[in-house]
Amino acid sequence: MLVDLQGPWSPIFGRLGLLLDVHYNNPVIFFAFQLVVVGGALLAFWLTCTNRWKWLWKDWLTTVDHKKLGIMYILVGLVMMFRGFSDAIMIRTQQAMAVGPDSPGILGAAHGYLPPYHFDQVFTAHGMIMILLAVTPILVGFMNIIMPIQIGARDMAYPYLNALGLWLTVVAAALVMIALFVGDFSHAGWVGLTPLTELPYSPGVGVDYYIWSIQLGSIGTTLGAVNLIATIIKMRAPGMTWGRLPIFTWTTLASNIIALTSFPVLGVALGLLTFDRYVGTHFFTADLGGNLMMYTNLFWIWGHPEVYFVVIPAFGFLSEIIPTFSEKPLFGYITMVLASMAIALVSWTVWLHHFFTMGASPGVNSYFSIATMLVGIPTGVKVFNWAFTMYRGRLRFPTPMLWALGSLFLLITGGMTGMMLSVPAINYLVHNSVFVIAHFHNMFLLIAYASFGAVAFWWPKVFGFRLDEKLGKLFFWLFTAGTLLVFIPMYTLGFMGMTRRLDYVAHTSWQPLLLLEMLGIALYTLSVLAFVAQLAVSIRDREKNRVTGSDAWETSRSVEWMTHTPPPFYNFAVTPVIHDRDEWAWRREHGLTSLVPDRYLDIHMPKNTAVPLIIGMLTLFFGFAMVWRIWWLAAASLIAIIVVMIIRSFDKDTDYIIPAAEVEKMEQEILSRAAGATGDTADAPIGGGAGGAYASRHAPSQSRKDT
Amino acid sequence: MSHDHHNPIDHPEVQLASAGGYLFAYAFGLGAMLLGLWMVLNHTLTPVGLTTAVSVIALVSVIVQLYFLFKLDLSSTQIWHTVSIVMTAPLFVMAVGLTIWMFHTLMQRTMIPLPGMGM
Ligand code: HEM
Ligand SMILES: [Cu+2]
Repeated sequence: MLVDLQGPWSPIFGRLGLLLDVHYNNPVIFFAFQLVVVGGALLAFWLTCTNRWKWLWKDWLTTVDHKKLGIMYILVGLVMMFRGFSDAIMIRTQQAMAVGPDSPGILGAAHGYLPPYHFDQVFTAHGMIMILLAVTPILVGFMNIIMPIQIGARDMAYPYLNALGLWLTVVAAALVMIALFVGDFSHAGWVGLTPLTELPYSPGVGVDYYIWSIQLGSIGTTLGAVNLIATIIKMRAPGMTWGRLPIFTWTTLASNIIALTSFPVLGVALGLLTFDRYVGTHFFTADLGGNLMMYTNLFWIWGHPEVYFVVIPAFGFLSEIIPTFSEKPLFGYITMVLASMAIALVSWTVWLHHFFTMGASPGVNSYFSIATMLVGIPTGVKVFNWAFTMYRGRLRFPTPMLWALGSLFLLITGGMTGMMLSVPAINYLVHNSVFVIAHFHNMFLLIAYASFGAVAFWWPKVFGFRLDEKLGKLFFWLFTAGTLLVFIPMYTLGFMGMTRRLDYVAHTSWQPLLLLEMLGIALYTLSVLAFVAQLAVSIRDREKNRVTGSDAWETSRSVEWMTHTPPPFYNFAVTPVIHDRDEWAWRREHGLTSLVPDRYLDIHMPKNTAVPLIIGMLTLFFGFAMVWRIWWLAAASLIAIIVVMIIRSFDKDTDYIIPAAEVEKMEQEILSRAAGATGDTADAPIGGGAGGAYASRHAPSQSRKDT
Repeated sequence: MSHDHHNPIDHPEVQLASAGGYLFAYAFGLGAMLLGLWMVLNHTLTPVGLTTAVSVIALVSVIVQLYFLFKLDLSSTQIWHTVSIVMTAPLFVMAVGLTIWMFHTLMQRTMIPLPGMGM
């Protein structure tokens, strides 16, 4: 039943024999390998020297605390973003070097320094990593950290599932990193172009790495989506009606509805491809009634909603940052909610605009063209709402606001070029040119800008101290200069006819623009350094930059600013009662910011568990075994996963109660530490969520009808 | 997490389970699959007819399973499940419908007609 394979296979080692044929003489890979090994060794050394293994295990690896899981999600995302960025540098340098027949080649390449086979792997890994393993984890991380606090919850609806989602994402990242050193990666583009991904065209293990990494990671994302949606529906604090839900929470909901409905389609598409490659079915080959365009179709039924899955939370960031630094409520709350939902819905009806050139009838193309343009309406509504929020506001421009404004400009340019692409006549000209690349990078950069804004915005909340503003601004301006220098030339080259995925550039007239892009990527590199320096300096000066009180920006508006900074592991000493849409702003106005509630209650918390980590490890074995077709290992790890899941389901000892007295003691401690920091011992500092839990007694709370 | 969930058997979702329902849904699913397989193996219909018939069988067994395995109804424990299925169904119909439309026009424009396609 299994297909015949080229090359060696043994029952014990599967296809690992292939490795003997590969020569690891590529200095680029060797350098990356050294980086990983030395970095890992240094980390292990540091952990041992400072005696932190136990801390790592107890506080992080086995945690189910949504804040810590969120931080780890973002960490994974940032690390993978760095990896993807290294790929980007390679792509840009290759294209800048390999122009014209006379351009020299080194390291076995005819031109430039990357042979085509290697270059194709680089851009495939770059795209797949950036979308699925960098942007997605960063956004999911923020949803994890912020959303539960924003709705006044103690944790997510399913803390254990939450940890499982994280570890599956880590497995996906680990598989891609392993592919860098053990075997090779897919060379068929992040979309997995059929029939290139079929076995006859890709006989190695690269495509299998691609398949299993995405497949396992996306199971994690789907679990996360279930969890986030359930949390929003079930765990809202008293008074947190749908009409008072913070906008970021709304966008989290919209985004995860997209994830929940679209990721299964990806699972099916990749599953069918897996069948084609492993057992010789013909879903996507022309034999026996298969159809290669069906893969593209299924892929984009997921793919287009996916791009909205990542952009909508970014809109959520903007909707929190802009009002805070305009010192005004968000303009048009209801329309903002409706727009998010409308975008989610429409995103499901437009996927064919990714293959207008396939040859479907003009009727089909017109329908999808018009549907695509419809997305512009809710997006436009959002842009105007942000503009009206700023209009006549008291504007301030710290780093989060700068990122937010940059994001707005990128949204406008990216949206406009998207509109151009949605016209089939234009699309026929620029399809598969670098114009498309510029468009979607424009869109993803919007997300990156909003995310960096969110990092700067929520960092003080999560860690209790501010990031250095000076280096933050340097980071912003270097990054922005890089963006302009890379992507304006790229749009231009698209119009000049440069197609995407070129490892050799025939037209020497394109070289000046390619060199400009090279300059841009150099600026990006400097910006990364500025970012690292910013983190280092801020951590060094953390005592100086410590936040006193709960609200780091003093004009924040939503519930997450009502609890201590950083929040204790139980988030709120007493579940807050919500009175208004911008609860924190409302309490500030009514002088209800005191920290001390009139009484404490028992708190019910989930226990730490190593099971998600164990399942993650087993899944990594499973993925690796499937890639190399080591059937015994795959079967063993799959069975082990099932057994562990069954054992866990009989475990009834999964949570515990913190007695009210102990809560009080911990709260007192936090309060006195905060008072010490301000040097103000007389009164409890302003701010803090526990206080005013029962504020509704004195408040004109139900005066505003907005449910 | 606000309620105590130490005994999973007490959960309303679990209480809804019924052995008869499970067995029936299982038997029905198996039967439907065998029917589909038989129809395909014996070329009982034209290719297009077959696709249609198999799709209908699949749809019916999905509905049977939703009802007998997942007990979807409007009770307070199940309503959110039902709401989500009601919201997913249009997406499903849309995705499949638009796909069929697109491939239909593509086939008309690029392929030799299959028997039963009515062109
Ligand atoms: C107003 C909104 C948008 C419109 C009208 C639009 C339109 C389009 C069109 C028509 C294409 C196909 C181009 C081609 O291949 O010929 C495209 C490609 C793409 N767009 Fe957008 N888009 C929009 C927003 C977004 C957003 C928000 C993202 C991501 C966050 C995004 C990411 C992408 C990606 C990744 C591709 C190319 C995929 C590939 O072929 O590799 N777009 N867009
Ligand atoms: Cu799209």
